[in-house]
Amino acid sequence: MSASVSTNPTLRGVSLTRTYGDGAKRRAALREVSLGLYPGQLALLMGPSGSGKSTLLAVLSGLLEPDSGHVLAEDRGEERDIWSMTSKQREEFRLRTTGFVFQGYNLFPALTARQQLEIVLKWGGYASGGEARRQADAMLDKLGLSANRHKKPAQLSGGEKQRVAIGRALVKNPLFVFADEPTSALDWENGQRVIEMLRDAAHERGASILVVSHDHRIVPFVDVYYHLEDGHLEERPLTPGGHGVH
Amino acid sequence: MSYALQTLWHERQRYASGVLAVTFSAVLIALQCGLLLGLFKITSIPIDHTSSDLDHTIWIGSTAVQSVDLGKPIPESFTTRIAGLPGISMPEQYIVNYGNFTKPTGGTELCFLLGSRLDDGGLAAADVLSPEQRAGLTEPFTIIIDQSDAKRLGIAGPGAKPKINGKEVTVIGMVSGLKTLAAPWVFCSTHTARQLLGHLLPPNHTTYLLARADTPARAKEVATQLREQYGSDMTAYTAHDFSSGSRWYWLTRTKAGIAIGYAALLGLLVGAVITYQTLYSATAASAKEFAILLALGIPRWRISVMVMAQSFWVGIIGILLSYPVCLLLREAARAGSVDVDLRWEVLAGTSGVTTVMALIAGTLALRSVKKIEPMDLLR
Repeated sequence: MSASVSTNPTLRGVSLTRTYGDGAKRRAALREVSLGLYPGQLALLMGPSGSGKSTLLAVLSGLLEPDSGHVLAEDRGEERDIWSMTSKQREEFRLRTTGFVFQGYNLFPALTARQQLEIVLKWGGYASGGEARRQADAMLDKLGLSANRHKKPAQLSGGEKQRVAIGRALVKNPLFVFADEPTSALDWENGQRVIEMLRDAAHERGASILVVSHDHRIVPFVDVYYHLEDGHLEERPLTPGGHGVH
Repeated sequence: MSYALQTLWHERQRYASGVLAVTFSAVLIALQCGLLLGLFKITSIPIDHTSSDLDHTIWIGSTAVQSVDLGKPIPESFTTRIAGLPGISMPEQYIVNYGNFTKPTGGTELCFLLGSRLDDGGLAAADVLSPEQRAGLTEPFTIIIDQSDAKRLGIAGPGAKPKINGKEVTVIGMVSGLKTLAAPWVFCSTHTARQLLGHLLPPNHTTYLLARADTPARAKEVATQLREQYGSDMTAYTAHDFSSGSRWYWLTRTKAGIAIGYAALLGLLVGAVITYQTLYSATAASAKEFAILLALGIPRWRISVMVMAQSFWVGIIGILLSYPVCLLLREAARAGSVDVDLRWEVLAGTSGVTTVMALIAGTLALRSVKKIEPMDLLR
């Protein structure tokens, strides 16, 4: 499958710097990092523990403010710096555009697979009642979870739970999806299935997806591969089978 | 089912302590109020246990009398103010006053004399008196007491001869079910009451006049009219109003209301703290699930509404559980001859107060919602 990638990035990080701590304990997690996320592209961000991967994901996704630099997003035909928005505007921007998948599935124990998706549609104001149910079911069907729609997290396997979590991230049809170690709690069979789903979401829906991971086995599935170390970002060549972007 | 209720049911063990805290508060408050109301029913026994129909009866007494035991003598001539009013019967006299009771076994007690007409159709005679007892009381210087007071008054049984205000009387029988708070009730005829009270009741005076109206509405109307017309030297109430007025007087005068207020407040505080802790820890335990919703851009108020809905349901379930507990405890109290008056006002008031308590606990628990940050998911 080939990536349908446009030439303009939908999200650009420009000269992003972020430090933690004060004085002697001051440590730079990001040093003048720049990168672009393209529609229809699955990007992978790797690097050793503590290299700032999660910090970059948080800064790009509007969860953590950088010390300097810009995060420019294509929004309704114009490019806006999400860190120049008010927190309410940013929250509203995330609601419209952004999905998340985390290592921990963070599903509500009391809710069924269908309700985990419905809650996002209903509380996010996307759909209500029967329409929310229809959209949730459609997403679960797509993820091969039709038979599990009435099951609660305790009745699902780890792989199924992560697929529900992906469904929750994708159900509102976001422009950007940020996934932090989405496969690390899974065996490779399930991990592969999850990364394939994220790739399909990028290619079929045109979403920009950034995956942070330690797992080298997913490199062949991505379109672009970044390496972050000591706060510096570089693009690495893909292994055979991967899909280059540039 | 709402997400809040579904979560409550799924994690019922977690929420159980909060629900039980609400139940505890509700039971404590309802029973305290019920016990007190039950207790103070005793103060209006001379009104509630007459042979008259409470809805139809008008009581006329001294100016601004607040409780049935506080009536001062009024002239019998006030009868003319009532007699002849359309739809109102000829008033009858009811003499009530404290007396000094000398036990046959020695020692004295304060007693409360209730002297009434005893013939059929009389309004004031105690409803528990049998026709034989009524007939017996027409003999001068005869009295009847309640069984529960017999020991206290040193009465072994009928035939005992104690003294009231220094005059010997004969106990001709006993009734049951008319307990007393302070001074035991002593039932007798108006004639005997006059003899025993002597100069305490001036000639041609009575303590109350009772009249029967054709309809409850007429009773209210005439009572209001008499108060307006003769408020300077007498007062008039319907039996219902005088009964609740007597109870209210004792409730407030004895400061028992304050005592119950403190106990209820304590119950509420305990309930609020436990409910708050339950909701706070439950919300904190779901922090990651809520955090991902925040990351997805779901407004924080949505989560706050869910926590408030949970606190509401914790309150409602706790209150529903408290009803059977209250009813069981009322029956247990009844078995021990203690009246717990769980009228609907008590249950409704308790439900209202404890629901508000649960909602306040929920509001406090919202602090944990404020602490939730999506960034925590990445740490």
